[in-house]
Amino acid sequence: MRETILQGLEQVYSNLGRMIAEFLPRFLVMLIIIAIGLLVALILKQILRAVLRLTKLDRVSEAAGATNVLRMAHLPPMTEVLSRSFFWVTWLCFILVGLSVLNISSLQEQISRLLRFLPEVLVAILVLFLGVAIANFLSRAALLAAVNAGHASARILSWAIRFVILILAISMALEELGLARQTVISAFSIVFGATMLGLALAFGLGGQDLARKVLERYLGTSKKQKEKEPEPL
Amino acid sequence: MPEDFSLADDLLRQLMSVGEVDLLVGLSAQTPGSTIGHAVEAIEQSVRQYFVRDRVVIVNVSDGVKGEAGASEADNGNQAAKSVRSPGITSLRTIHRVSADFSNPPSAGIALRTILSAADLLRARACAVVSPATFNITPESIANLLQPIYREKFDFAAPLYTRHKFQGLLARNLLYPMSRAVFGWGIRELYSDEWGFSGRLATFCLNQNVWNEEAIHARPEAWMAISAMSSDYRCCQAFLGEKSQAAKGAGTDIVEALRQTVGTLFWCLETQPGLWLEIDKPREVPTFGPAHDLTLEPSELDRHRIFEMFRSGVTELEPVLHSILAPETHAEIKNMVSLEEGKFRYRTDVWVRTLYDFAASYHHAVIHRNHLIQALAPLYRGMTHSFLVEHADSSPAEMEAANEMLCNEFELQKPYLRERWKTKVEVKS
Repeated sequence: MRETILQGLEQVYSNLGRMIAEFLPRFLVMLIIIAIGLLVALILKQILRAVLRLTKLDRVSEAAGATNVLRMAHLPPMTEVLSRSFFWVTWLCFILVGLSVLNISSLQEQISRLLRFLPEVLVAILVLFLGVAIANFLSRAALLAAVNAGHASARILSWAIRFVILILAISMALEELGLARQTVISAFSIVFGATMLGLALAFGLGGQDLARKVLERYLGTSKKQKEKEPEPL
Repeated sequence: MPEDFSLADDLLRQLMSVGEVDLLVGLSAQTPGSTIGHAVEAIEQSVRQYFVRDRVVIVNVSDGVKGEAGASEADNGNQAAKSVRSPGITSLRTIHRVSADFSNPPSAGIALRTILSAADLLRARACAVVSPATFNITPESIANLLQPIYREKFDFAAPLYTRHKFQGLLARNLLYPMSRAVFGWGIRELYSDEWGFSGRLATFCLNQNVWNEEAIHARPEAWMAISAMSSDYRCCQAFLGEKSQAAKGAGTDIVEALRQTVGTLFWCLETQPGLWLEIDKPREVPTFGPAHDLTLEPSELDRHRIFEMFRSGVTELEPVLHSILAPETHAEIKNMVSLEEGKFRYRTDVWVRTLYDFAASYHHAVIHRNHLIQALAPLYRGMTHSFLVEHADSSPAEMEAANEMLCNEFELQKPYLRERWKTKVEVKS
């Protein structure tokens, strides 16, 4: 009895020793890979940051309105966002490669699923970001054009354009992630259709006078209004 | 969009058959050329009267559109020129006529580049650009543009006009005082349809690598004037008489005017900071003829509508102006908007700071530059309203004194522009 227990303990001890002897080098390799990954990611981040600064990406980003979007989200300038994102993506790849060295089958399965899902997440973020930037740009363009044409409801027009583009961008991002695909498409169709129908009804039934005035303005009286301002040059 | 540029074979053939010339007059085709005949007639009369012994070429940049009779505008112009009779006055030389035809209407930048290329090839000593849209062009006005270049050895001659006191307010309240303070040369009409230049300035401008820039396409004349100033070419102003009213009745798109003129001015600031950052006092520009001439006929302007567009513009564009203007300037403007129309005045110091804020924000590209220029329109309307009220009964002398004060304010506040130019104001959204 006693011998059996001792043999069992010996077996467990030798198994444990063997497992540790097998696991420890792999763990060390993983740590080395992660450390090298950190170093590589840091170097690549610095290089990318320098290149982006040389290309004056921040200025382009400001002009396109993308920096404003980042400010609203309390994020740093575009150069910093891209270089930091690149750092994290690079390091994450190294971490995942390091973890795969441990040879744990369930973990490997989760890692491969994550790796498969990662591009979709990145694309969704990119779609969302572009959508916000385009919405900001076009809504501002509409606001300026409407104000300078003397329209009374310039902000409503600007807001409506922003709303429609943001809804479209969010729908596209969610569809990219594969989240409730049918629901998202249906919801977008309903929201978009309802908005258009509402506008059509409001303009057609409730705003006949307004429609007439707008048409008169575009077709007949805008020239007279311009004449009432002094020649600038 | 960048445009490829090279002189057409037909134009080169015509230019080679002309040989060297003393004077070149270019006709830029930007509007329907119904007055080309009149313009060519005026140029030829001017040559016969004032440049009898000199070799002259007229270069007509045309879009090649055929008229009702099947003849192109250039042909019409040449026919009109041939029918001119000036008894007792004849040129001793042939007056050559060259036509540069484009399949599509060329931009002002392309038209000027064609004229400069012709001037360079023909080694012209003095050149002038005249717009066919200027219906009241006279032989004297063309001679007034050419003579300072040809006889007095100036390199750039900007025009001066007789104007109605409420005409050209963008030039009076913005372009002239700001360019005078910033670039140090008081040229009143930086943007005009007529101007003169020397052959060496033509060659210099032709060799600059700017011709694909969007700012050059619509109004290249201001860039040419600023290039002349910045490179120590001799500049002057020449009085031409009454400003052409050809566009009257068509209405003026203020946003488009701002885009073409203020946009180019800001672009010049952006591209040549080394030129203006260190200049302190403006230099006198020699002037041939009266420096200013105003007429006082009554005019029908809707001041109330202008004020309403200013007020609604400032209110609606609040977030856009917030990102362009310094907080103090924006607060001042918001205070002004809250006043009643009768009590409203756009103070000159606030106007100057407004423009300097816009220039600095253009430099820092805080928003898309086209949007930035558009956002200036309501504020320009506010200044216009203020000007119309203030000078409703002013005499030309009083208006000139007020304009001089505005110029001084621009010069006084130039350090503010320098400071804002160099340090970016962070805007919290």
